[in-house]
Amino acid sequence: MAAVLPIHYPRSLLRAFNVLPIEVWGPPQIDAGLGAAHLQAYVCSIVRNALAFLLSGGLEVTDLIVVPHACDSLQGLGSILIDFIQPRQDVLPLYLPRGNGERHIGYLIDELRAMYERLSKTTQRAPGDDELMASIQREETADEFLAELHQQRGKLTTYDFYRLIRAREYLPAEGFIELAQDILKQQGASRTAGIPIVFSGIVPEPMSLLQSITEAGGEVVADDLACCGRRLYPPGTSKDPFRRMAERLLGVPPDPTLGSPISARLEHLLGMVKKGEAKGVVFYSVKFCEPELFDLPMLRDGLQEAGVPSLTIEVDLSDPLSHQARTRIEAFLEMIA
Amino acid sequence: MSMIGSLQYHFNVNLMGRALLRINRLRNELQSRSPSPREHLGPPLKIAPRMKELVARHWLQGRYANLHDKVAWVTSGAPVELLKALDYYVLYPENHAAICGTARMALEISAEAEKAGYSSDICSYARTDFGTVLSGKTPVGRLPKPDLLLACTNICQTVLAWYRVLAEHFRVPLIIIDTPFVYHEQAPEHALEFVKKQLEDAVPVAEQVAGRSLDMNTFMETSRLSQLASELWMQVMDRNKHTPAPISVIDQFIHMAPVVEMRGDAHTVDFYAALLEEIDARIAQGISAVRNERKRLLWDNLPIWYRLRYLGETLGAHGIALVASTYTNAWGELAQFIDPSRPLESMARVYTYPILNRGTGHKLSTMVDMIQKYQLDGVILHSDRSCKPYSIGQMDQRDRLLREHDMPALLLEADHNDPRAFSQEQVSRHLAAFIEMLEA
Ligand code: SF4
Ligand code: SF4
Repeated sequence: MAAVLPIHYPRSLLRAFNVLPIEVWGPPQIDAGLGAAHLQAYVCSIVRNALAFLLSGGLEVTDLIVVPHACDSLQGLGSILIDFIQPRQDVLPLYLPRGNGERHIGYLIDELRAMYERLSKTTQRAPGDDELMASIQREETADEFLAELHQQRGKLTTYDFYRLIRAREYLPAEGFIELAQDILKQQGASRTAGIPIVFSGIVPEPMSLLQSITEAGGEVVADDLACCGRRLYPPGTSKDPFRRMAERLLGVPPDPTLGSPISARLEHLLGMVKKGEAKGVVFYSVKFCEPELFDLPMLRDGLQEAGVPSLTIEVDLSDPLSHQARTRIEAFLEMIA
Repeated sequence: MSMIGSLQYHFNVNLMGRALLRINRLRNELQSRSPSPREHLGPPLKIAPRMKELVARHWLQGRYANLHDKVAWVTSGAPVELLKALDYYVLYPENHAAICGTARMALEISAEAEKAGYSSDICSYARTDFGTVLSGKTPVGRLPKPDLLLACTNICQTVLAWYRVLAEHFRVPLIIIDTPFVYHEQAPEHALEFVKKQLEDAVPVAEQVAGRSLDMNTFMETSRLSQLASELWMQVMDRNKHTPAPISVIDQFIHMAPVVEMRGDAHTVDFYAALLEEIDARIAQGISAVRNERKRLLWDNLPIWYRLRYLGETLGAHGIALVASTYTNAWGELAQFIDPSRPLESMARVYTYPILNRGTGHKLSTMVDMIQKYQLDGVILHSDRSCKPYSIGQMDQRDRLLREHDMPALLLEADHNDPRAFSQEQVSRHLAAFIEMLEA
């Protein structure tokens, strides 16, 4: 098993080595104290909590820790794990290029090949192209189901929908496909009549937040969340497994950590608002998350110009959902209703 | 550029501006001949007025640059030699922000960005820059608009976020040179190749905006000048192996401006040659940065721009000199990688290996090397709220310095440009305890 930090990583490569990735987005509401001997208080709670979780033994079941490079904080975490903390598990950093041109794809192909070598050493296995392709296809199928669930999200309440799709963070593709098939087979209760909103940010934690949205009469009709909507990987086309993995990883919707222009993000948000007939956008950011914070003013201005109201809420994953956040969401929904 | 614009530029910059700045410098030089004695610190550097003139001229040129040159805004770790060779006027928003910090205007200017919705949790350099962009407020008169933006991620990912905002605001091309972070001792070959290819791709974009083609000889010459300036700067810092140290880190922070923002210019090389000469003269005359130097320290991370004097004087009063810093060192240590005969190829290496693009363990070994090289007695690690890439790792670095190297080390919480994150009371308390420890 591999503990994998946010955001993008090659699931199919890990699975080809028979390694099951378990994603670590925080986790929320744990005592971050253990990490305080290594990380300053101005580091985001995703990174602080992940370290605290590791140090408290929460990742003992894993054999490997994969740290994709999404921001300065994850970079720092990867680096102190390698140089200072040196956990029992192998630590594998992965640098994702900032861009999706041919140069970037070419670099990522090489980076994935290097990761292959590292995995090979760790696991003493060397899957061939066929095995890689089979693994890729399995993940692509799971991602197709994931995309389909996004399309048919109205079958579930907001809370249930996100619980379901976030199972992709720890279930093997086969398990997720089965789960998705079951849900998709169910007769479609049509969308609840909540006030439609788009949700943007990193991770919808604590999940009780989503229940609060429903209780306040809202419904998330689309998202631009790093753990969800920004990871709708397109199906691949290349016959070369490494190119295919690289193209998929960089073919995602606009993502600030991959260097997407802010205008592309705005256009994407407006597209989701239009398609979902959303009445507003909630930006739910993690405190100290620079990749999100830098874009917010321009995104909000752009939405406002298009007549779309927005709200920003900042959270620390260590804290329970605050009364203030709940009230602000309620007030926002009331305003846009 | 229009003829009238060009004339206006030459009049304001080359005639009036230069003359006024020269007069100013002469006045400063006269004053500095009889400096008011500083109780604990050695006499100021004689070259300081020249440095001020050089920097002021740079910003004066900037003020009128849109009339005369193509303007590029770049990050401090950007491959500037390429742009210099294409005759761009190159502006460093980080340096401008530092000027705002030393002029104690950063807070007022950042407030303009915060008013527009930028969080006080983003890097205070970026906030200062956005504040100037949005309000026009600046201590340097006026900033020219960019025709091109160049961000190199070798110092942080923050600049990627920052320059994406600038690209939207100014609607000009943005070149990103993405330099994969070096987790282990060496960067993988494919990472260096990736950087090289991006540099190659940057050339036609920069040429197109500049409206001219890159001349290889000019490019090699700017690389040579850049290397010379960096080498001289390294030698200046190296002179602090001498006890007592002739130049304090506080002075290094101030005098590093040209090697950052005017790298690749001939006058920058002349300036550092003259600075080196003065440093040698100080050593020969027994002049030191701190009068009764008893302890020598390393500084890690960016300066606290708005409290430079306080730090220098507080430490100086105890005979403590800041002798070396990982920050100023960063602009000298890479000179060895520059190969003026193969500028593009060597740039890939130079711009992949800055200390901020390397692992936290590498930073610790750099510190340990510097401790030995400069015979230091302790380390102050400025835990800079704004700068995560520099600061993450410091807690472990401090612990290792204490435990494995028996080296007193203090983690000082602050922010390089935002005085709100600086608690005078807390800093004084921590410094006092640290000084006591050093003196024990
Ligand atoms: S929340 Fe933001 S800063 Fe934290 S790990 Fe995620 S992208 Fe990085
Ligand atoms: S101060 Fe740090 S975070 Fe800010 S631009 Fe410089 S390196 Fe990046």
